[in-house]
Amino acid sequence: MVRRVLSLTSGRIAVAVLAVIALLALFGPLLAPQDPLATSESTLAPVSGAHWLGTDYLGRDVLSRLLDGSRVSVLGALEVALTALVVGAVPGILSVCLGRAFEWFTLRLADTLVALPFLLFAVAVIALLGNGLTQAMLVTGVLVSPLFYRVARAAGLSVARSPYVEAALISGASIGWIVRRHVWAKVLPPLAVALAQTIGVGFVIVSSLTFLGIGVQPPAPTWGGLLASDLGYLSHRPWAPLAPAVLIMATVWAANLLADAVRDVSGEAGRALVDGRRARAHRPGPAGPAPLGGAS
Amino acid sequence: MPGRLTPRRTGTTPRTARARRLRTAALSTGLATALVAGLSACGGGASASAGNSTLKWTSSYFPAHWDPVVSGSGAQFRELALVYASLTRTDKDGNAVPDLAESWEYNDKGDQVTFHLRSGLKFSDGEPVDATAVKAAVERAQKQKNSALFGDLTSIKSVEANGLDAVVHLTQVDYQIPQLLGQRVLQIASPKAAKSPTELDRNPVGAGPFIVTQLVPGTKAVLKKNPDYWDAENIHIDDVELTSAPDASTVVSGLQTGVYNFADIDPSQADAAKKAGLDVFVQPGFNASNISLNINKAPFDDDRVVDAVRHAINRQEFVDKLTFGYGETTDQPFPEGYVAYDPQSADAYPYDPAKAKKLLAEAGHPSGDIKLDLVIPAEDPQAEIVQSQLAKVGITVTIKIDKNWATPFFAKDLTFSLYGTTGRDSALQTLTAHFGPNGPLNLSSPYEPEGFEAAVAKVRRTPLDAPDYAQVLQSATRAGLESKALVFTYSSPNLIAKSKAISGLPKNPAHIDWTGVTIGAGS
Repeated sequence: MVRRVLSLTSGRIAVAVLAVIALLALFGPLLAPQDPLATSESTLAPVSGAHWLGTDYLGRDVLSRLLDGSRVSVLGALEVALTALVVGAVPGILSVCLGRAFEWFTLRLADTLVALPFLLFAVAVIALLGNGLTQAMLVTGVLVSPLFYRVARAAGLSVARSPYVEAALISGASIGWIVRRHVWAKVLPPLAVALAQTIGVGFVIVSSLTFLGIGVQPPAPTWGGLLASDLGYLSHRPWAPLAPAVLIMATVWAANLLADAVRDVSGEAGRALVDGRRARAHRPGPAGPAPLGGAS
Repeated sequence: MPGRLTPRRTGTTPRTARARRLRTAALSTGLATALVAGLSACGGGASASAGNSTLKWTSSYFPAHWDPVVSGSGAQFRELALVYASLTRTDKDGNAVPDLAESWEYNDKGDQVTFHLRSGLKFSDGEPVDATAVKAAVERAQKQKNSALFGDLTSIKSVEANGLDAVVHLTQVDYQIPQLLGQRVLQIASPKAAKSPTELDRNPVGAGPFIVTQLVPGTKAVLKKNPDYWDAENIHIDDVELTSAPDASTVVSGLQTGVYNFADIDPSQADAAKKAGLDVFVQPGFNASNISLNINKAPFDDDRVVDAVRHAINRQEFVDKLTFGYGETTDQPFPEGYVAYDPQSADAYPYDPAKAKKLLAEAGHPSGDIKLDLVIPAEDPQAEIVQSQLAKVGITVTIKIDKNWATPFFAKDLTFSLYGTTGRDSALQTLTAHFGPNGPLNLSSPYEPEGFEAAVAKVRRTPLDAPDYAQVLQSATRAGLESKALVFTYSSPNLIAKSKAISGLPKNPAHIDWTGVTIGAGS
């Protein structure tokens, strides 16, 4: 799958961008040239050799704050996506296998969760449990999980009714064996698409919450928080919101691009697409230009 | 074969038909435009009609409550003053001057004051403005369950209504009452409307310069001039559209495009407003911000730690970074130059981080030993400055945002917090609110600095026009500043941007005075 995704240009771009973001999350705080919390007298300073992205309203180095804040944003998005994956996919597959009562219950639960607006719910959870991004993201992950539930269930249903699964059941194979051997392989590609997409959604949610000053205690930097504080000083540094905004946009775009690439290379159609491209790439080029009006 | 299948209309060519269609389309478009404009005008029936002088004020302090008893004496009293008048008002020199009461006098002992109300005044619902209304207003402020003002009226025992004379009986000699019963503490609502405080909150009825004609809670209020206001002849504004300010960065755009013509703005927007050709000015005020410490809790139960904090605070940094130079430093609950400001107490604890470190070491706290939670209601750069300044002397501060901050703050459960006051009409009330044993802004209640009670009593006994009044008042400030519970930092500016079509406002620090203000064409 990874090889097939990388065979597409869009896949390579998406992976490259996300790899850079992941590196920022891992090493950003170490790469920060200055203490991201250290204030100075040089407030709202323009771009300079000492401050590559200028300073904020308290004289803090914006580049250092961006680098330092990347970890919170990335971890928050991953938290949403992984929670949703675990909470959604497992019951989605099991709903196909564990009988009507479980199926009825999980379907109703998924319908209920879909009806709840996750951003508002996250704000409410923070109000209830205190200001922390972890609890908000966990709850948001649960609310996003019906996507995984439905994707996993749809893929599971399509496999469960196939002749080879019926043959395996008649042969006495256990449910666990069938899930591992047949269902899992079919469910994984759509789940991978949903996961990549949800990482993008998670980024938007984390950025929205931190933009509103929710989830992270000041002065901890976040991309959303930096964007919000920059907007208050537009007349002094009109270009300042560009850096956090571009980072957020690029990450969400790359996550969606990856989801598209995974979708394109999944299944038989995806394999055919990749094989066709490979074949075209290895075909010897034409000897000369095609005649006008077509090759025939 | 015929050339066409349909009969040709006499005298009509394709070109003329097209021209007619074009004319019809143009006419229809014109009519539709006029209709839309007309309907829009009808739809905005609550808005001020064109041609009138309309104040379009967007405010960061749009009142959450329009019942003055519930709203209290916070910054939103300025907006409520559009609707409600009070017994007295404060002039630019800080003196109480007539408002609904045209005069007043104390008895010889000083424990009773009689306010003589103007005759013939009515609330906007037709109820008379008389002593009965004053009595009802005071009693409501003292007794209503959700009153934010009851603590300010402890000197008042009872009010006797005698036609247009309201006789206020006091629990003690207190010459501050005329100042106290100004706009911040006793905006008077119609007693008939106030029978249902909930309804009053939705439909405010007062005897102020304007009448509310439409109120969208939390968003917008439309008001028209009150022709029955006692000073209506000096109010030259016909209509007011008061809106809740949008994001600070968009207010200036709204002023530029004429959506508003008057706004209180954040200091960060002052440059943009000036560049946009707006009038930008600082309306004087009594604002003072502070760091509140609870000396009943560790580590502030050690005087040396409190003193260390006092010396660790660099006030100028607040002014430079938060007010862009428009504010000023203050180490007292008033700005410098105010009658109660005590020059003798100025700069008693200058910025000296080395001394702060030394004091902490003496108290047995090595660097990093003290860890504090600074609890605030919302994100505030002030907290980040406090955090960074205390970090420099070895105190680790964690900022905690608690949306329910007011409950533990006023219950005096917090150890460390921030507060900012817009002041009071009565300087003594400002002092007792901060330093009194039950002062709402004294996080260390029931602590009271030594000598403060006696100093306050002396102020109460001193008539406002006594030659030594200022000196007595400043002595009380000096006594109050012995308090270990408060570290004053800076006075934030009341920064206003307005259209040049609006004439200048009287420089009254107590409130925004609309008397004599005119709005010309093109605002």
